[in-house]
Amino acid sequence: MTRWARILVLAMTLLVPSVDALGELRFPPPEFETGYQFPQTTVPGPKAVFHEYIDSAVLLAALLLATYLILKRRSRRAIFGLMILSLLYFGFWRDGCICPIGAIQNVTLTIADNSYAIPITAGVFFILPLLFTLFVGRTFCGAVCPLGAIQDAVLLRPVAVPPWLESGLRLMAYTYLGAAVLFAAIGNSFVICRYDPFIGFFRLTGNWNILIIGTSLLLIGLFIGRPYCRFLCPYGILLRHTSRLSKWRVTITPNECVKCRLCEGACPFGAIREPTGDWPRGEYKIAKRRLALFLLLLPILVAGGGWGGYALKERLARVHPRVRTAERVFLEETGQVEGTTNASDAFRTTGRTTEELYQEATAIRGRFAVGGALLGGFLGLVAGGKLVALSVRRRRTDYEADRAGCFACGRCYQYCPKERERRKKSTVGVTGS
Amino acid sequence: MAQATGQTRSRDNDVRYQTLRNTALVGAVFSAIFTVLLVMNLVGSAVLGPRRETRLAAMKLQIQKEPRNQQLLSDIRRLDLKIRRDRIWRLDFANKATFMLLGSVVVLLVAGRIAGNLKKDLPRPQQQPDIGEMQIEEAKRARWAVAGGVVVLVAAGLLVGMSGWVRFVQAQDAGPAFASAEEMRQQWPRFRGPGGAGVSAYTNIPMRWNGKTGEGILWESRVPLPGRNSPVVWKDRVFLSGADPNGRQVYCLDAAKGQLLWTGSVPTVPLPQGKEFKLMEDTGYAPSTMATDGRRVYAIFPTGDVTAFDFQGRRLWHKNLGLPDNSYGYASSLETYQKLVLIQFDQGDGKEGKSRFIALDGTSGQIAWETKRDTANSWTSPIVVDVAEQPQLITVAKPLVVSYNPANGAELWRAKCVGGDVAPSPICAGGFVFAIEPYSQLVAVRADGKGDVTKTHVAWHMEDSGPDICSPVSDGKYVYTLESGGLLLCINVADGKKLYEMDVKEEARASPSIVGDKLYLLDMKGVMHIAQIGPEYKEVARCELGEECFASPAFADGRIYLRGVDKLYCIGKAP
Repeated sequence: MTRWARILVLAMTLLVPSVDALGELRFPPPEFETGYQFPQTTVPGPKAVFHEYIDSAVLLAALLLATYLILKRRSRRAIFGLMILSLLYFGFWRDGCICPIGAIQNVTLTIADNSYAIPITAGVFFILPLLFTLFVGRTFCGAVCPLGAIQDAVLLRPVAVPPWLESGLRLMAYTYLGAAVLFAAIGNSFVICRYDPFIGFFRLTGNWNILIIGTSLLLIGLFIGRPYCRFLCPYGILLRHTSRLSKWRVTITPNECVKCRLCEGACPFGAIREPTGDWPRGEYKIAKRRLALFLLLLPILVAGGGWGGYALKERLARVHPRVRTAERVFLEETGQVEGTTNASDAFRTTGRTTEELYQEATAIRGRFAVGGALLGGFLGLVAGGKLVALSVRRRRTDYEADRAGCFACGRCYQYCPKERERRKKSTVGVTGS
Repeated sequence: MAQATGQTRSRDNDVRYQTLRNTALVGAVFSAIFTVLLVMNLVGSAVLGPRRETRLAAMKLQIQKEPRNQQLLSDIRRLDLKIRRDRIWRLDFANKATFMLLGSVVVLLVAGRIAGNLKKDLPRPQQQPDIGEMQIEEAKRARWAVAGGVVVLVAAGLLVGMSGWVRFVQAQDAGPAFASAEEMRQQWPRFRGPGGAGVSAYTNIPMRWNGKTGEGILWESRVPLPGRNSPVVWKDRVFLSGADPNGRQVYCLDAAKGQLLWTGSVPTVPLPQGKEFKLMEDTGYAPSTMATDGRRVYAIFPTGDVTAFDFQGRRLWHKNLGLPDNSYGYASSLETYQKLVLIQFDQGDGKEGKSRFIALDGTSGQIAWETKRDTANSWTSPIVVDVAEQPQLITVAKPLVVSYNPANGAELWRAKCVGGDVAPSPICAGGFVFAIEPYSQLVAVRADGKGDVTKTHVAWHMEDSGPDICSPVSDGKYVYTLESGGLLLCINVADGKKLYEMDVKEEARASPSIVGDKLYLLDMKGVMHIAQIGPEYKEVARCELGEECFASPAFADGRIYLRGVDKLYCIGKAP
């Protein structure tokens, strides 16, 4: 580790307590009889609707500009500038809310619960980046997402993660996505928002757990590019698969690849794919047998995952606050625990019977039986699908950005001699005219 | 020439690099300084703050004991101000320092990144190995990594699966939500014991004690807040309540040692504007005796606050029924039937239709049933008795004796036979319900009627006896009444004839009780007069407590619990 890295690690570590210091609890009002009249408690009014429109318009403008800068202008510096502006606006100015990652939950809840009306911004924020990705690749990740931006900004000494390890680690993001959808649909819980690791930095306050997770990710992010985006981001999973279908996307070279290999180490996110080599003798038959085996294994993994998720229904249901309250009240009622909690006290003021509460909790557990089975099945499908995909050989003749994994950050452009040639020509063209 | 230009460029780069590096260094130093300051600020808040607050809390407790200590009050104010000033200063400091720190980190990052770019190595591709083999090996490792991921997921699932979860069915295994009738008969679960009869289930009750010398006193325990309600006993616990104008409390004491096990606070709601809460001194702020169904314990206060606690002291629910319109202050005690809490909520003069009887579900506090009553405000307590082959909830208030089905509130019978401000509670013995009209008469009503039984089931009334406060007691053969002036009457249950009257020459508020063949009369001075049951008065013992008593005694196996104005006493022998 260089001296710079050491200094930065220290600075980032020490940042944590400073942020928490802002989150100190407010103190109770004085108890003395001074004749002071307490002002009536007021609450802030609902957010003005026009803010939602402004946010949506800014997002659209940022995506359009990002698309231009990434695909047409091909300027890393300009992309970086837009990224910082997005970080300031969507992150620090708008407090990191709303973001497309959390919007997954709003969309899920809209589908699962007829009584829930999705806010306009949530819908727009969910759909716009997906639409852009469908046509132009992950421009949102490259220049608009504040979570990606804060990680990108701290990346100082990139260390390559072996591609094989990346395949395994990405299972975490699928698990997070599946769990977030399940919990939003029937768990009455928005876990993505609750565990947003960078929200504490954006708001300059937050609880210790989240700040520690956020700081850890930023410290890792000094060396491993965008760890949250690559291994955890649930929205990133949706963008990965949408990006595979995109008509236009980042290309390392503006015209033809001369296979100079100068771009090999350019991507800190391991998203540059080299041309495929010749098929070794005898490998073809083994590969065919392997593929058949994994295709057979796929339904077994789905069924096994489904069964596992079903078996965990009672534990998964604990995410639901009503189930947690019911369990606590039950333990209190049967004398298995001492004392009460705010939740159990609050329940008792509702006037509802414990039997009603237990029945409701049991019904929620029933929903988690189905949801848990679906989650387990989904994870089995993902793992099986990955094994199948890794057993299929794709042919590549040029160095190219990975369709799914490229964040469209534009770092690779400057490594390509053809790109330099293009820039030189355009400069000459401009000065010559 | 070109070489010279190259050297100049390199020198410029070096200078730029040095400048950026030094800038980054300054950023780092500033970051470190602000971080240290913030950490010190945080430590100061975390250490000093709680210490001062603990001191302040202790001082606040002290001021409750010494409300006139002006010096202490002034110290509290000073410390409170200091704490607030310190907190505001620290918050302000943290706010400013955080922004300074962020600025320093940004300088550090920007300068560091640019300096890093200046020293970036150019890519130098090496000789490439066999790419085909390499990619096959890479795919193989990736498959293993995915398999490893699956193993981790399975392990995580197993770990989650190993954590326990709560089976709500255990609730049914835990038994019914209330104690059985047999259990209730063995305890003292309400005012004047099971059925409000004032009759002990045990005969091994002490007949000799002296509170002044400590003879026969197993323990005594000071009750924090005053109250004229009587203790109730369930196995190893004694419950009673206390209140003053500032608060209401429920107490649970260890029946064996008198140790206060827990205190439960009972909230109230602010009075509507213009309403005043006035009570007679004789009534006090906690006149109603608590009740228990063997699982939970219930209390009611003249403010209309009714609440339930479990035996561990957890408040299960609280309800405010509204401030009762009651001329001397609400004083009826609670009764239970299965898991219902029964509340006689008589108000007004009876013409306004304010009176009602309310049954709450003991587990939730929800209203199970409620019925209107054509009665005036009263101070009697309802009783549930098994009579005429059915459970009956019997109430007395001007002008009615009314019997209800305790399960649903359906009226079974009523007799219009009492008047006045009724305070003595009814009892049931020998198939009769005995009700008292103060300063006027004792009425016996047969309890096997239906509808209006005024003309058909009033067996007799005895006009020589009309206690104003104390409830009667009966062994089924004789019924005894005690006037607050100390006049005791013995009446024949069968025909209502007076057998004797005896002046004990002391004022009394506690109702008389029966233990085996003995009558226990507690006067206001705390003297228990023990007499033989029978057609003649024959005192067999007299025991002094040494403290004024208003509450009725509670009887348990080999013990008597007596509440004085300050203390609760347990009379009996150590096991």
